[in-house]
Amino acid sequence: MRPEIVMRYLGFILLFNALFLFISSVISRVHGDSSFYSLIFSATVVFLFGIFPLIFVPSTEKITNEEGLFIVVFGWILSCLVGVIPYMLWGEPFSFTNAWFESVSGFTTTGSSILSDIESVPKGLLFWRAGTHWLGGVGIIVFVLAVMPSMGPAAMILYRSETSDLAINNFRYRTQKTLMIILYVYVGLTALETIALSCLGLSLFDAVTHSFATIATGGFSTKNASVAHFNSPAVESIIMIFMLLSGIHFGLLFLFVTGTFRKLYESTMVRYYVVAILLGVSVIAANLYGGFYGKLTDALRYSAFQVISIGTSTGFANADSSVWPPLSQLVLLFFTLQCACAGSTSGGIKVDRIVLFGKALRRRIFNLLHPKGVFVIKLGGTAIDDPVIESALVYILLYMGILLASTLCITAFGVDLLTAFSGAAAAMGNVGPGFGLVGSMNNYGQLSDPVKWILTVDMLLGRLEIYALILFITIRRWK
Amino acid sequence: MSLRFKILSGFLILAVMLFAAGALSIYELTNIGHSVQSLLDENYKSISAAKNMIESLEREDSGMLLLLSGEWERGRSTIEDADTDFQKAFHVAENNITVPGEDTYVAAVMESYEAYRLYWNRPIAGTPKQGDLSWYFKQVHPTFLEAKNRVNQLMTLNDQTLYKTASALKNRTERAIMPGIIAIVSALIFTVIFNFFINLYFISPIKKLAAGIRNYLKTGERSGMRVTGQDEIADLAAAIGELSLYRQETGKD
Repeated sequence: MRPEIVMRYLGFILLFNALFLFISSVISRVHGDSSFYSLIFSATVVFLFGIFPLIFVPSTEKITNEEGLFIVVFGWILSCLVGVIPYMLWGEPFSFTNAWFESVSGFTTTGSSILSDIESVPKGLLFWRAGTHWLGGVGIIVFVLAVMPSMGPAAMILYRSETSDLAINNFRYRTQKTLMIILYVYVGLTALETIALSCLGLSLFDAVTHSFATIATGGFSTKNASVAHFNSPAVESIIMIFMLLSGIHFGLLFLFVTGTFRKLYESTMVRYYVVAILLGVSVIAANLYGGFYGKLTDALRYSAFQVISIGTSTGFANADSSVWPPLSQLVLLFFTLQCACAGSTSGGIKVDRIVLFGKALRRRIFNLLHPKGVFVIKLGGTAIDDPVIESALVYILLYMGILLASTLCITAFGVDLLTAFSGAAAAMGNVGPGFGLVGSMNNYGQLSDPVKWILTVDMLLGRLEIYALILFITIRRWK
Repeated sequence: MSLRFKILSGFLILAVMLFAAGALSIYELTNIGHSVQSLLDENYKSISAAKNMIESLEREDSGMLLLLSGEWERGRSTIEDADTDFQKAFHVAENNITVPGEDTYVAAVMESYEAYRLYWNRPIAGTPKQGDLSWYFKQVHPTFLEAKNRVNQLMTLNDQTLYKTASALKNRTERAIMPGIIAIVSALIFTVIFNFFINLYFISPIKKLAAGIRNYLKTGERSGMRVTGQDEIADLAAAIGELSLYRQETGKD
C-alpha cells in the first residue's frame, strides 16, 4: 500500500470539508454571530492539511482495492475529526466527546444531538452542523468523486469501496455517469425542497438547513422543538414528501424524472417500502386516535410524520413519540431497524435486505413442504444468486448482533434498557431519536461519555454498513 | 513541481497555521480582557454600591438608637453622614443598570429607604418617642430590615450575574487556549507528514541515485540511475545519466 496516494485522496476530502467550513464562516459573518473566528480558523487548518499532499504527491489514477478501502474508512474518520474542530473552538457545551458525538452524528446523518438549547448556537455553526449532514448524505467519497472532474479508474474503486452492492444495483451505467446521476438527484432534491420551504415562509437559512437535513436523511434541525417548532401542516407535508423521496434508490428516482416511470412502480423494494410505511402510519394512527388525539386528522398528521421520519432514518420530530403507547413505539422501533431503500441516503438494515429475508424465509417454508422442489428467489423477474441472499442474511444477523452487544455495553453504564436498545438502534440505523431518555424531544447530552463513544462507533458501523469496517480491521490478512 | 517550491510550501503552511492560531488566541485574549473590564464595570460596581448602602443603613440604625437614648447631636450627625453616603452609593447603582430587571430592584430600594427615612427625618430626641423601645422595635426596625433586605436583593442579583459572566469567561479562556492546542497537535502531525514526504521524495531518490552511480561504476549498468519525477533530483539524475553516457561514448573520465 502507498500511504502517499491515500494521503492525496484524503487531501481532496479535506478540501471539501474546508470549503463547507469556509461557507459556514461566511454565513456566520453575514449574521454577525460569535462562531466566525472558530469557523475561519478551522477552514484554514483543514485547507492547509488538504492542500499539502496535493502539492507533494503527483496525480495518479491507479489505486488498489486496499488503498480504496483505506481512503474510504480514513475519509470518514478524518471528516468526523475535522468536524470536531469548530465545535471545540466555539466552546461550551462542546467538550471533546460532545464535539465528536455531534460531528459523527452529523457526517453519518444520524441526527442525534447533545445540544439542549440548539437555538443558542450561532447560525454559522448551525450551518456547518447541517453541512456535515449534506456532505455525509450520499457518502463523502461519492460526493467528492461526483464533484471532481475525473479520477479515472480510481473513481470506480473508491465508489465500490464506499457503496454497498445493494446500492450499486439499479445503476447500469459507467461509474462517472452513476456519480453524476447521484449528484443531480441529490442537488436537485435539495434545491426543490429549499424553494418549497422558502415559499411556505421559512427563512432561507432555515429552508436550506432543513433541506440539507431532509435530503441527507439526517434530522438536525435549527430549532429546539425540531419541525414541531413551525407548527405548520404545510411545512410538515413538504418535509414528508422529500423524506419519502430521499428514502428511494437515487437511480430509480433519476429514471422516473427522465421519463421511465415504470421502473419505479415495478420495483419490489419501492412497493414494499411504500406499503410498509402506509401500514405503519395506519397502525399508529389507529392506536393514537381517541386516546392521544381527539381528531383523526391529528392522529394521521403526527403518525405519518413520525413514521416517515423514522422509516427513512431522518429523525425529525413533530411530536414527542416517546410518550406514545407501547404499540406505536414498537412499530417505530421496527422502522428504526429497517429504514429505507439501498442506494438512497438512508441508513438501517435497508428495505432490500428485509425483502430478501422475507423471500428466503418463504423459500425455506416451501422447501420444508416440498423437499425435492427447486425454488428460485426472484426480484423484479430477475433470479437472485444465493451468495447475495446469504450476504443479506448474514448482514441482518451481524447487525442485530452488534446492536445487542452495544445495548449490553450501554446498560453496563447504568442506562435503562429501553433507552439503551432504542438509542443503539437509532445510532446503528443513523436514525437519531430513540425512546426513553433519548426520545424525539430529548437529547443525548445527559448520557455519560463512554456511552456517547459506544454510540458513535455504532453510527460509523451503520454508515459504513459494517463490512467496510470489518474489511478494514482485517486488512492485514488480505492476500 | 520544483523542490524549492515543495519545501517552501511546507514551511509556509506551518507558518500560516501558527500565525492563524496565534491571531485567534490574541483575538480571544483581547476579548477576555474586555470582558473582565466590563465585568468590573457592570457588576462589581453595583455590588460595591450595595455594600456601601448596607453599611450606611446600619450606621443610620446606630444613629437612630443614639437619638432614642437622647444623644441628639451625635445621633443626627451619624445619620446625616450615613444618609449622604447612602445617596452617593444609590446614585452609583441607579446609573449602573446593566442586568435585565435591575431597575425594578433599584426602585424598590429607594421606595423602602424613603419609608425608613420618614422615621428619622422627624424629631425624636426630646419628644415622647425618646426612649420608646417598643416604638423602635414595632415600627422603625422592621422598616430598616425591609430596606436592608431590598439592598441585599439588588446585591444578590449582581452577584449571580457576576458568577454567570465569570463562568462565561472561563469558557472564553478555554476558547483562547483551544487554537493553541489545535495548532500544536496540527504542527506535530504536519511535521510527521512533512518528514514522510521529505524522506519519500528527497532522501529516497538521492539514496537510490547514489546506489545507482556506485552500481554503474562497478558494472557499467546505467538503469539504476533513473529517478522519476519533474523536480531537481530527477534533473540531477538525468544529468548524471548524460554524463555516464558521455563517459561511455568518449571513454573519458
